[in-house]
Amino acid sequence: MSLFRIFVNQLEEDDEDMATSKKVITREEWEKKLNAVKLRKEDMNTLVMNFLVTEGYVEAAEKFQRESGTKPEIDLATITERMAVKKAVQNGNVEDAIEKVNDLNPEILDTNPELFFHLQQQRLIELIRQGKTEEALEFAQEELAPRGEENQAFLEELEKTVALLVFEDASNCPVKELLDLSHRLKTASEVNAAILTSQSHEKDPKLPSLLKMLIWAQNQLDEKAVYPHINDLSTGQLEDPSE
Amino acid sequence: MSSSPSPANSATASANGGDTATANAGNGQDLNLHFLEKIRLAANRDAKEDEGEDSPTELNTVNSAGGFLVVSPDKLSVKYTNMNLHGHDVGVVQANKPAPFKCLTYYFEIFVKDSGIKGQVAIGFTKESFKMRRQPGWEVNSCGYHGDDGHLYRGQGKGEPFGPKYTKDDTVGGGINYATQEFFFTKNGAIVGKIPKDIKGHLFPTVAVHSQNEEVLVNFGKKKFAFDIKGYEASERNKQQMAIEKISILPNIGYGLVKTYLLHYGYEETLNAFNLATKTTVPPINIDQGIATDEDDSSYALKRRKTLRQLVGNGEVHAAITKLREWYPQTVQDDKSVVCFLLHCQHFIELVRVGKLEEGVQYGRLELAKFVGLTGFQDIIEDCFALLVYEKPEESPVGYFLEDSHKELVADAVNAAILSTNPNKRDVQKSCHLHSHLEKLLRQLTVCCLERRSLNGDQGETFRLHHVLNNNSTRR
Repeated sequence: MSLFRIFVNQLEEDDEDMATSKKVITREEWEKKLNAVKLRKEDMNTLVMNFLVTEGYVEAAEKFQRESGTKPEIDLATITERMAVKKAVQNGNVEDAIEKVNDLNPEILDTNPELFFHLQQQRLIELIRQGKTEEALEFAQEELAPRGEENQAFLEELEKTVALLVFEDASNCPVKELLDLSHRLKTASEVNAAILTSQSHEKDPKLPSLLKMLIWAQNQLDEKAVYPHINDLSTGQLEDPSE
Repeated sequence: MSSSPSPANSATASANGGDTATANAGNGQDLNLHFLEKIRLAANRDAKEDEGEDSPTELNTVNSAGGFLVVSPDKLSVKYTNMNLHGHDVGVVQANKPAPFKCLTYYFEIFVKDSGIKGQVAIGFTKESFKMRRQPGWEVNSCGYHGDDGHLYRGQGKGEPFGPKYTKDDTVGGGINYATQEFFFTKNGAIVGKIPKDIKGHLFPTVAVHSQNEEVLVNFGKKKFAFDIKGYEASERNKQQMAIEKISILPNIGYGLVKTYLLHYGYEETLNAFNLATKTTVPPINIDQGIATDEDDSSYALKRRKTLRQLVGNGEVHAAITKLREWYPQTVQDDKSVVCFLLHCQHFIELVRVGKLEEGVQYGRLELAKFVGLTGFQDIIEDCFALLVYEKPEESPVGYFLEDSHKELVADAVNAAILSTNPNKRDVQKSCHLHSHLEKLLRQLTVCCLERRSLNGDQGETFRLHHVLNNNSTRR
């Protein structure tokens, strides 16, 4: 093989390396790109407002509307009502919550048999928690059993719930998690989501999704380039590629 | 009035921005040139952000294999009229334009009206320089799905088993998924398969006929497709969304970001209401992460920043200037600084808003004339003065000056100027008094998406926060 040939081979190899290796973007170049992004203040305000509204911080949303001139995407009054429902479930006042939901929009429970069942189930749980065995049994037979007949999954859940009554000390019961406060929170967030959906609003704020998208976008770009990352979402600190 | 700022203008402005970012970190006033760019962005808000891409509409009759085929007068069907003798007399036609690529997918369909003597119909994608007498897929930089054997050809004379054969009365589609960088093909409305797209650059939708009487109708989207391309796009988006949702982040991290955002911009009342409401419900550990380290910095001059924001918001610009001069004389020392400019402009705008045009003119002569001729200010002054020309300025092309968002922008500039006077601020990150944490994250997100797209030859959809926020269908 001639020297020239070796040289050419070498060049070809280098070319191949170039094709497979990642593009390296220095911090300086990257910061230039970051600063060139055209980001609108209104969009960031919208994002923050969406967070306040979806999470139900009505006072903060009101103030924010005044301070930043950002219009909330839904009537702030409906947040107050929604939060009242959520709070009622969180405090164990399920009957009250059902009434409030129906005041808000009767279609929500009519069109959501599963949600309605879960609320009734939560009501049963509260009765059991309060030791009102007789009332609990009556309620289960009259209100819940007919729904169980219509739907196998409901029936199973009903049986599970009634099992709470079998144990005098619920802490021995295999389904004791139903009595956990976290179960109330679960039901509360289910109602919350249903109300938001009925108001043609998304049930989750957009901010956490965008943060996940940032991680995802960095992962995707990692396959093709080396560049400064943001690893700490809480500070947005840019880290050098080598770190 | 400059509805679109001249390239020269924006070029000088960004050059200035670059200079000051390195030279004037301590001073910080001129960093606010950034806010002038924001005004230009607002001016162009309604301008089309995407220059619309041309899509193929018909077959190209100029560059086709003359003699072997006939393209119909409507340029949407092609027929092989010759006797085929060998492999170099294929009748190939490309679309009149390449497939658009600033989108998630491109797709077109053919309907085999007549499969002729041998049924050697093919659908695929080729480069502009493709030899028009060869089947798509036989040559490098092309790919094709062939009807006579159902094989897929990509760059070689030999195909690989791919899907079913197709013939008379079948509808076959060819598509490109730019997000996954794949070709996909369909038959009678169902996906046949997909293969990696390793061809770079513009690709032309291509059809080929190769035996007597073969006739193919092409549909570039004027008629309804047999394949549900919208549904396909939705499911592709959904797949991506699912992958994103699966990523786990610290719970409640959003609370901390909202909090630092409110601190940064001096929305004090919102912050207080938010703090009060979250005190009991949200575990404090997550909220306070990241705040502890720079709470001192962010809450710097919070009360005063809030007051000035309110003054600007209420249109009391004169009072705002007076307070700023009293509290932070260093921010208005240079009477040709961006902050001074924006505040004087704003006072002028407020006079126009209430119809005091004469007073406005006088004020303009007094305070704004000195900016005329200064690079970076000229176009904005002109637009601002244009407000005087219109009977209903709020409905004019420069009406954005009268919107709340413009007050917000001026208040942000004042806010940034005050933050830059913080003596505790180390100069490690020069942009820290310009960008909140949230903004840094959103910028990073945008650049990552753009960069990835640029490494894909600029193919696929562009990421725009504005679209994400205003499109409820992105999450279903």
